[in-house]
Amino acid sequence: MFCILLICTITLLAFYGLIAFNGQGADLSLLKDSYFHSILIFSIKQALLSTLISTVLAWPIARALYYYPNLIFKRAFLSLALLCFVLPTLVLITGFVSLLGRSGYVTPLLGPDWNLYGLHGILLAHVYMNLPFAIRAFHSQLQNIPQSSWLLASQLKLSYWQKICLVEWPVLRANFSLTFGFIFILCFNSFAVVLALGGGPQSTTFEVAIYQALKYDFNIGEALTLAWSQLFIAGAFFLLLYRSNSVSWLSKDTHGNYQLPTNSRWQKISYSLLYTTTFIFMLTPLLALLPGVIAADYSRAIIGNIIEALSLTLVLGIVCASTALAMAYAILLPIRRNLLQGKTTRALLLQWLANHSLIAPAMVLSVGLYILFLPIIDLDTLGMIFVVILNIMLVLPFAIQQIRARLLQYDNDYAVLAQSLKLSTRQKLQIEWHYSKQVFFSTFALVIMLAMGDVAIFSIFGSDQLKTLPWLIYQYASSYKINEASLASAVLLLLYATLLFNLERAKQHA
Amino acid sequence: MKKIIPLCLVALFSGNALAADNNTTTLNVYTYDSFVSDWGPGPKIKAAFEKTCACTLNFIAEEDGVSILNRLKIEGSKAKADVILGLDHALIREAKKTGLIATHQQDLTNLKPSLKWSDDSFVPYDFGYFAFIYDSTKIATPVTSLKELVNSDASIIYQDPRTSTVGQGLMFWINAVYPNDTSAAWKSLASHTVTVTKGWYEGYSMFLKGGSDYVLSYTTSPAYHLIAESESKYKAAAFSEGHIAQVEVAAALNTSKQPKLAQDFLQFLISDQAQQILPVTNWMLPVIKNVKLDAAFATLIAPSAIDMDIEQLSIERKNMIKNWRSSAVK
Repeated sequence: MFCILLICTITLLAFYGLIAFNGQGADLSLLKDSYFHSILIFSIKQALLSTLISTVLAWPIARALYYYPNLIFKRAFLSLALLCFVLPTLVLITGFVSLLGRSGYVTPLLGPDWNLYGLHGILLAHVYMNLPFAIRAFHSQLQNIPQSSWLLASQLKLSYWQKICLVEWPVLRANFSLTFGFIFILCFNSFAVVLALGGGPQSTTFEVAIYQALKYDFNIGEALTLAWSQLFIAGAFFLLLYRSNSVSWLSKDTHGNYQLPTNSRWQKISYSLLYTTTFIFMLTPLLALLPGVIAADYSRAIIGNIIEALSLTLVLGIVCASTALAMAYAILLPIRRNLLQGKTTRALLLQWLANHSLIAPAMVLSVGLYILFLPIIDLDTLGMIFVVILNIMLVLPFAIQQIRARLLQYDNDYAVLAQSLKLSTRQKLQIEWHYSKQVFFSTFALVIMLAMGDVAIFSIFGSDQLKTLPWLIYQYASSYKINEASLASAVLLLLYATLLFNLERAKQHA
Repeated sequence: MKKIIPLCLVALFSGNALAADNNTTTLNVYTYDSFVSDWGPGPKIKAAFEKTCACTLNFIAEEDGVSILNRLKIEGSKAKADVILGLDHALIREAKKTGLIATHQQDLTNLKPSLKWSDDSFVPYDFGYFAFIYDSTKIATPVTSLKELVNSDASIIYQDPRTSTVGQGLMFWINAVYPNDTSAAWKSLASHTVTVTKGWYEGYSMFLKGGSDYVLSYTTSPAYHLIAESESKYKAAAFSEGHIAQVEVAAALNTSKQPKLAQDFLQFLISDQAQQILPVTNWMLPVIKNVKLDAAFATLIAPSAIDMDIEQLSIERKNMIKNWRSSAVK
């Protein structure tokens, strides 16, 4: 309860900072401006398309992974999928441009009319980040199909389509809408990708417009109107999704290699093709960094800078991720209690509040707090604390989303039992930990990487004495040092890959 | 590794408090981030100035010039800075509205007359002309005017005038060359624009990777490639209509408790010593006469400047952006 209150207070403070500064509320005349309408239409259009493509494509790929558990490099594939999702956009965009830009390696194959910049560039980048996320989500959901369902299906001699509709879809359904909504909101609030690949003023999302209004015109009235609109639309969407979602019917999962229905030969071929294509799609933008890495200047100063930034980034990531994880657990406690007591509406409300930083514009949060605290606190010295707090706020919904399902499942399966056995709190926690530690490990990996990739918050609160690695990349790139930027990007990628590999392994052994 | 973590934690929360030395007077200067980077002018300027002043020069970096101004607006009279450094001349009007800017008390007779500098608060410390850069190994005969570029089908990359002062420069440029049919010019340009980027670096790095025929930057960009990389293929296209200049400026704040020291720093900025550092670290041109420069600077084009009424431009800026955002659409 306390944690929910805390994060809501931070958001309110941020909005208060903005409102109090100019002494008036939102500038509503903007709502009639055609600029506003074009932002509205474009934000929704690109988000809807990105989400549709990501989720619809993810489905067959997740099935391929599920039906063929022995695919080569499957574990690497799943790790790479997570990497794609958390990759700092700066790195991703560099990769895309060297592949698909005007002189890209792949561009000659795409015909003379190809242009990366514009709606299809945005879609491509959004799909690159979110398709792998959806694949992972669906894949883990499919694994929850109980063995008994398949036995029953084969006894009833269900057809291919019947199996999809009666066995797979019920397991996927709830997660499908949740994943759909999650990706939609991420794309709806998209910032860096839209700015970099939008190709002109025709591609402006709310987040971009807020950034512009706040940062360059210092027009707080306009920024507030845009922020409220974004909050309202994304919030309504989110509320809708959380309502439709339930996990109570989920069975205890039965991991392990059990009997799966066999597929025909052509299905096998098409699935492996799909798998390979996705693998290549995920891998190539990362490989495109290599030429720059080779050409970089390996002087002691630059290596020193990178190592220094690397250690700061790690510390920052560890602090943010562990706090966020602990907070997510604490936030879920009252939600779980309410659900167990059958108070669904209250649980929904709490969930909504807990997740609100997903839809609240990041720019408003950071600038609002900045305006509020700059005259009071010495932000040049203490700015790092705000970098930590805001990063925790922004990754918190991800942490909650990841561990929530597992904990609810635990409640569903064991809470009553634990109650009746009169276990001590410690014993209960032990069982709970044992039941959910896998999820905690993978969530930690996800959250730490998200927090380490931040540039936006750092750009407002960070100091110039202490730089994080993504910020260093940004600095190199903004001062003609393109190859050094590639080198720093590669180091960051390597760090991510190491983290991923170790955490996934820890997860396997857990 | 285990030892690094607590060390970093200490550093994390003590921030740059350690950096400021309390025994001598400290001159606080708000500037932009790339100015203070290791390879920017900041470290050299700091070392040189501290030799003359018996003080500590403390740079506080914001993301860019606009952020410096926003910070002043938020802090008001509580601003920590004695000097602000890094606004461009298009922001002078806005900055003066804060009521925090002190008059400069500097003798500016040594400034280049072509700057026609008459402001009594802001001191210019470097300047540059916006220009389109091309790769001369790929383009043998570059365009020779803005009109030719607008009407051509050469692919270009430029920066968003809402978020980049370079992009804003092009906006002033287009408005100066096409006073009556700006919309049509934007439309024509949009038909062969590869992309509009948020900041200078995104656009420029895309261009270096072969992203377009031309990119909007400064006439001094080729000097960087010559001096730092011994690469001579990048050139700036000279336009017959003339070029738009960007002048970077500094000023003392009237809330400063060390007005004398602040004035000394302004004076130092336009000294021969500082003016020699800036061109090869900030990659802009010196503002005073007779500065000895690297030979690479002699190879740059010397464009004629388009006269600008900055006062008027900052008033019209909003409408220009509205026009751009509805016209430069594909």
